[in-house]
Amino acid sequence: MTQYTLTILPTGTKVVLPAKSRLTEIEFEILQKPIPFGCRSGSCGVCVIEVLEGSDSLGQPDDNELDFLEDLGRPGGDHRLACQCRLYGNAKVRPAADT
Amino acid sequence: MNCSGKRSSTHKKGDKKMNRVINVGYGEHTPERTPFLNATASAKLRTEIDEQLDQQVVEWYANVSEAAHLEGKNVDSEYYKRNLIETAWRIRMLRVAEAKALVEIAKVSPEAAQVWANYEQEEMLHDELFIADLEKVGVSREQFLATEPYLSTKLLSGYFSYLLDHEGPLGVVAYSYLVEYVNVKLEPRKLEALKGSVGESNIGGQINHSHTDVNEDHPGEVWEAVRHLLRSEDDIAAFKRYLREHQTILGQYFEELHRDTIAKAEKQSA
Ligand code: FES
Repeated sequence: MTQYTLTILPTGTKVVLPAKSRLTEIEFEILQKPIPFGCRSGSCGVCVIEVLEGSDSLGQPDDNELDFLEDLGRPGGDHRLACQCRLYGNAKVRPAADT
Repeated sequence: MNCSGKRSSTHKKGDKKMNRVINVGYGEHTPERTPFLNATASAKLRTEIDEQLDQQVVEWYANVSEAAHLEGKNVDSEYYKRNLIETAWRIRMLRVAEAKALVEIAKVSPEAAQVWANYEQEEMLHDELFIADLEKVGVSREQFLATEPYLSTKLLSGYFSYLLDHEGPLGVVAYSYLVEYVNVKLEPRKLEALKGSVGESNIGGQINHSHTDVNEDHPGEVWEAVRHLLRSEDDIAAFKRYLREHQTILGQYFEELHRDTIAKAEKQSA
């Protein structure tokens, strides 16, 4: 089974997940909550992350996500809604609240 | 037991004192949100389940009369139409049971309930896709509404009620995993054949239905709900049993369909 590592700053917490896992899985893998989640459906904005490495590893955002990120003042590029991402490779991220 | 002969009435989960509220999403034994299966164990189990389903598909083709009929070059018109009628009725009946399942799922896992609600949102009105295809081959909405569903279709709906009343929502979700897995695997082949036998312009509804299953990764979506509902090895064993039982009931449906259409016509012409 293919697995990938998600590294979450600022603590450097590493979570290993099977390929294609949703990032919401980290809540069930470790006791800490390094990324906050709310609605888990791309509508509340609490889970915004800055992608520091491996943006291709998190899949492509759809138009709804891009629109919402723009509304949140975090337009495209480096930011994603963690609840809308799946892990297709190794990546390093940081919750936007910590930036 | 205290001196009044009463057992302790303090409400405890583990060693934590709790209020009296129950059925809010986490079970007696899992007051925290950690699922029974972690992500890796869930992925491994899914592989095992998919192997069981692949074997069930082999048995299906070996044991059910005319199981590959809709994949052939010559499709019996009555068989085709009646299958669409029953499919639309099945969707109509099961969406009621599946909505009741949402309540039961929410009582034990809000994570599974959120996934299930989203899945139902995408599937809820698909009966109309099949009714549209019926109209293309000359079966009006009135004829559809006047057709009494087969006993096997009613019994499947009844089995859902039994599961919800007496075993819980896992068996209902198991049905969706079975049909979504099989649809994604086999439906493209069937639709290709139907383009030739019935005509591509006549099967648009079924093509759209299939798009939803494939593009929205419905097997993966349903599995996410399953994973949160599995709370023990007993649940895993029950899940495997549900997959076999649903296939048995669906097999009974296809036998009834065959008897009422192809076999009946053969008898009449003999
Ligand atoms: S958790 Fe609400 S947008 Fe991601």
